[in-house]
Amino acid sequence: MKHFLLAAAACAVTLSVPTFAADPSFSGFWKLEGDFATLKTIDGKIPPMNPEARKRYNASVALRKQGKPVPTDTVQKCWPHGLPRLLLAPYPIEVLQDAKQITFLHEAHHMPRLVYLGEKLPALDTLDNNYMGFSVGNWDKDTLVIDTAGFNDITTLDKAGIPHSEALVLQERVRLTDNGQTLEDVITVTDPETFTKPWKARISFKKMPNDYWLKEMVCTDKNPDAA
Amino acid sequence: MMLKSTPLLSAALALALAVPAVSYSQERGVSYKPAPPLPKPVYREQRSSMENKRDLNGVWFIRDYNRRFRTPVDTLPPFTPYGKAEFDKRVKAETDGKPYADASTYCWPHGIPRVMNSPYPIQIIQTPGKITIVHEVAHNIRQIHMDQKMPDKVPTSFLGYSVAHWDGDVLVIETKGTDTRTWIDEEGIIHSDQLYTIERLRKTENGENLENEVTMMDPVFFTRPWVKKINYAWRPDLRISEYVCEENNRNAPQAGVTVAK
Repeated sequence: MKHFLLAAAACAVTLSVPTFAADPSFSGFWKLEGDFATLKTIDGKIPPMNPEARKRYNASVALRKQGKPVPTDTVQKCWPHGLPRLLLAPYPIEVLQDAKQITFLHEAHHMPRLVYLGEKLPALDTLDNNYMGFSVGNWDKDTLVIDTAGFNDITTLDKAGIPHSEALVLQERVRLTDNGQTLEDVITVTDPETFTKPWKARISFKKMPNDYWLKEMVCTDKNPDAA
Repeated sequence: MMLKSTPLLSAALALALAVPAVSYSQERGVSYKPAPPLPKPVYREQRSSMENKRDLNGVWFIRDYNRRFRTPVDTLPPFTPYGKAEFDKRVKAETDGKPYADASTYCWPHGIPRVMNSPYPIQIIQTPGKITIVHEVAHNIRQIHMDQKMPDKVPTSFLGYSVAHWDGDVLVIETKGTDTRTWIDEEGIIHSDQLYTIERLRKTENGENLENEVTMMDPVFFTRPWVKKINYAWRPDLRISEYVCEENNRNAPQAGVTVAK
């Protein structure tokens, strides 16, 4: 009996990984559905760029059409994708979740993205300008609302080359659909220096088998996106 | 049997102790220099799970960072002649101002055990069947399989293939398959494809310290297993920041030699 109790105690310790029944669990492996090299609005349009941004976008698209390297493409140089471009990379994502933090581990460039739960986004002028910005998440019923800001202006929102400024703010509404087999992410893009109005895009991820294991993808060793 | 202390015996003992090759079992028992003091414990109210010695979740920061790996008695590792020659070559190249480029210089993942010895925070995340360590340095993500046997053959990768299990309150991590382009330390201790490391991690000092006793085995480079201890302070006040090696890499190598920009 004593041994049994000890074994039970040992098991309890081993299994004491926090789980929170109240919030849906996004834990597991996910892979983007569809091709989002060119990100469009929910109704299938090119985002509402101002004339200056549109000029930069068109130049990038033209270079790509000719198969030429795009000097403004940071991913060709193995620099981080930024957002939402990292979400659009066709490689698996692992989600680790607890009550305080949701961690997205991207196989692409082995990039982590840490989302702090239950916090407010600090004022834009207090944030550093990073590739991946700073993300906070809050539950709105079964939807996780992720707010991200504090970006640098050297990444593009997609591979085609939608530019943005440091004023970029993203709001993602992430929820499970399709009986938990799909993770839907509706992204609202706000950047008054680049777009004439906020716009929305919708992407989704398909659940992968739980026994997947993230591969070690090292861009500076083998860059799949090299021009 | 009792031995009477004689001047001859004392001399013999002194001679034996003077021989630099300390045995592995002696080495493991040696008490290390104490780590630098812990940061002020201003986070006590956040210590919800510190009593659980198997809960390693959270952000940790190295306390006794040193770019050089040495044994507990502060000697060089027990090198084979080949291992010593390769080490000397790297130390000399650095002294001559033309250091060899290692994996980190190329912005590749840093290898095991090297990545566990960086002056940047790490975050340990325990989930069922798995331990993930998110390292600030060069956005290394280390993945460790819990309660699995080390396969006979493992694929080669920069961070190797790690399996772990609990031995009481000690997390024992075994790693094989670490890419030979990584180094063990930053000075010039390198390894072959036979490198096998065993890390023994445990919480000490009321859960505010995480001790990692690393044993390294590699018959090509070392004559016997040897150990190095690393201590990390629990730092719930820290978060993992963005670290981008790839942009304007200060030390981008040319033809295998590090070039300072």
